[in-house]
Amino acid sequence: MSELPPAGITPRPDIRAPAARPAGADLGQRVRALLLSDYFVLYLSLAYFLALVPFLPTLSTPGNIVNLMSNMWPLLVVAVGQTFVLTIAGIDLSQGAVMGLTSVVVAMLIATAAPATVLANAPIWGSLLTEQGGLLAGIPFASAVGIAAMLAVAALVGLFNGLAVARLSMPPFMVTLVTMIAVAAFAIWLTQSNNIRELPESFISLGKGDIVSVYLGPKLESQLPRREVYSFITWPMVIALAAAVFAHILLNRTVFGRWVFAVGINRKAAEISGVPVARVIVTVFVISAVCAAIASILYTARLETGRPTLGGGNFLLDVIGATVIGGTSLFGGKGKVIWTFFGVLFFVLLSNTLNLLNLSAFHIDMVKGGVILMAALLDVVRTRLMRSAT
Amino acid sequence: MTRLQALAAGTILAGAAMTAGSASAATICFAFQDLETEFWVAGHGAITKTLKDAGHTVIERNANEDANRQLEQVRDCIAQGVDGIILIPQDGESATTIVAEAQDADTPIAVFNRPPSDLSKGIVVVADNATIAGQAVDSIVEKAIAAKPEGKLNAIIVVGDLGDPNAVGRKNGFYAAINKHADRFDVTEVASQWDAATALANLEAAVTANPKVDLLFTSSDFLFPTIRSVFEPRGLWKKTGEEGHVWMAGLDGDATACQLVKDGFVDATGVQDLYFEAEKSLEAILAAIDAGEAQPNEVIEDPGFALTTDNLGTREKDMWGCVLLSQGFLKNKS
Repeated sequence: MSELPPAGITPRPDIRAPAARPAGADLGQRVRALLLSDYFVLYLSLAYFLALVPFLPTLSTPGNIVNLMSNMWPLLVVAVGQTFVLTIAGIDLSQGAVMGLTSVVVAMLIATAAPATVLANAPIWGSLLTEQGGLLAGIPFASAVGIAAMLAVAALVGLFNGLAVARLSMPPFMVTLVTMIAVAAFAIWLTQSNNIRELPESFISLGKGDIVSVYLGPKLESQLPRREVYSFITWPMVIALAAAVFAHILLNRTVFGRWVFAVGINRKAAEISGVPVARVIVTVFVISAVCAAIASILYTARLETGRPTLGGGNFLLDVIGATVIGGTSLFGGKGKVIWTFFGVLFFVLLSNTLNLLNLSAFHIDMVKGGVILMAALLDVVRTRLMRSAT
Repeated sequence: MTRLQALAAGTILAGAAMTAGSASAATICFAFQDLETEFWVAGHGAITKTLKDAGHTVIERNANEDANRQLEQVRDCIAQGVDGIILIPQDGESATTIVAEAQDADTPIAVFNRPPSDLSKGIVVVADNATIAGQAVDSIVEKAIAAKPEGKLNAIIVVGDLGDPNAVGRKNGFYAAINKHADRFDVTEVASQWDAATALANLEAAVTANPKVDLLFTSSDFLFPTIRSVFEPRGLWKKTGEEGHVWMAGLDGDATACQLVKDGFVDATGVQDLYFEAEKSLEAILAAIDAGEAQPNEVIEDPGFALTTDNLGTREKDMWGCVLLSQGFLKNKS
């Protein structure tokens, strides 16, 4: 496999400005280099941020930046999973449903209490969940066991998706659409659409716990104003970055990662070259589902509730949108975790600024849709530029 | 602003505006879960119009039925340094989390109508759903028994999303009334999850399984058009006095319910006093801001009442939906 190119798969052209070229051509080369840069979306985000700061002073306040980061971490984890699937020219529509199901699974296992008035009609009532809480309530390491159960359930869903796509040659869109519907319905059935609260503090801290907090103002009184104490390093940040770094190494520094790109570029050619295509596809869908489960830990903990509807609504728009904006190609064969990181950053920044502009939820979704369309068009342009350079 | 919002805002009690004006100009974040029903639209209009008229700045946030999005929106509001928050949450659980988030940031918060599962935190303005539902169902139970003194009666309750404490209260109120004559009723529960399409599918299934219906209580008036679409083709949508009339009651007190009570299709509806609730929410949050109170905790209860065909003449003007109806709301809507 050593002859395969490293990260990003498509060989990057060595762009040099030829001597004595007209200024217009030089500018064209620079634009081209910018468009093809790994950091294009980061530059875009910075430019967008700087352009809006004079009009939205709140944008650069520490409180708002803390919010931006806090909103970014769970989305990043899901988008990293989606990056793997898009890179093999697939799509995983079931990530949101996996989040809902795993959110219910962990809550019904580790909740410390549950109201009969709300949950008595749920099929899990009396066996897995009672007024005294979930099956694991009160036992040592309940949260860890609950999380392991979440990851196992997610892996099973991913395994099903992967096997259906790899072994039965079913289209990923159709397989994951069906999984999305079935898994979401199953999650709702488990609790009859009710939420499960009373999660242990050890679990909740994973979604909102600070490791390092900072206060930037003068210390005039003995008690610091809580509104001005900002989270600096949080558990969601650590978990999301750890997942992203692991995924980056897996995708860009291992033979498995090269197989992923090879499958995405040309499945048939990869098969002939000896790539274990079926195993790669199955593993990628398992990774995607496990990433959704990790994100579910963060969302469930920050909302302090197991919610069967978690990941519903327009959530998938955010995930696929952020991944595509980052530069991962919908056509497969092209993707990087760092691109997804920048894509999520831009997407969260976009949502934040649209909120600060006081636009309605409907307008915000319309703008997001437009930006995703632009990102898809940009993907086409970048792909053409790369081809023309080779 | 829609015509409905304008109408709703126009009818807000003058006292609310006076009260809202008593605080110095404040920036209020109004975070609501959606504007799906007449009740929420009217409540939204009443609150925003009153605050703006009193010189306050209102930052509106629509979560589009997404609890996580609402949490993020409230955090955005706190980062913007708002003086207070009025919240219509997605459900009781997320309300508890969001109230704690606001109080941790020393920002006063009031929850309008849909209470947190933990009532001890924040300003909570809520209707006594169990009592109001009980009053409405009591009235139709008595009439149904009088109309059929012998034998079993089939009753249906269209239940809301039981993650919402309002839905739980309404269900409890229904059973409190039914259980006074437990030996006379067979009850079928139809889940709606506060969603018209879900209610339609489940009600159709229930009525197909058992076409004989004597009494129905819907946990929200906004489902009456859905109920009509199921009942009418099956000959169950009849006026009082007509053969086959199903005794029906709802809860909210919206304009559609008022019209249906007047027409005789619906026999009673529990009324939440929207204007009272809006007034009290604003009064409490602005008083807390003026007093510099960062974590005000208070439960304000709307006693409500049941509008029935018997007291329609005397209490019609107290129901917000009838006020909207008299101003031509349903004509404007169509």
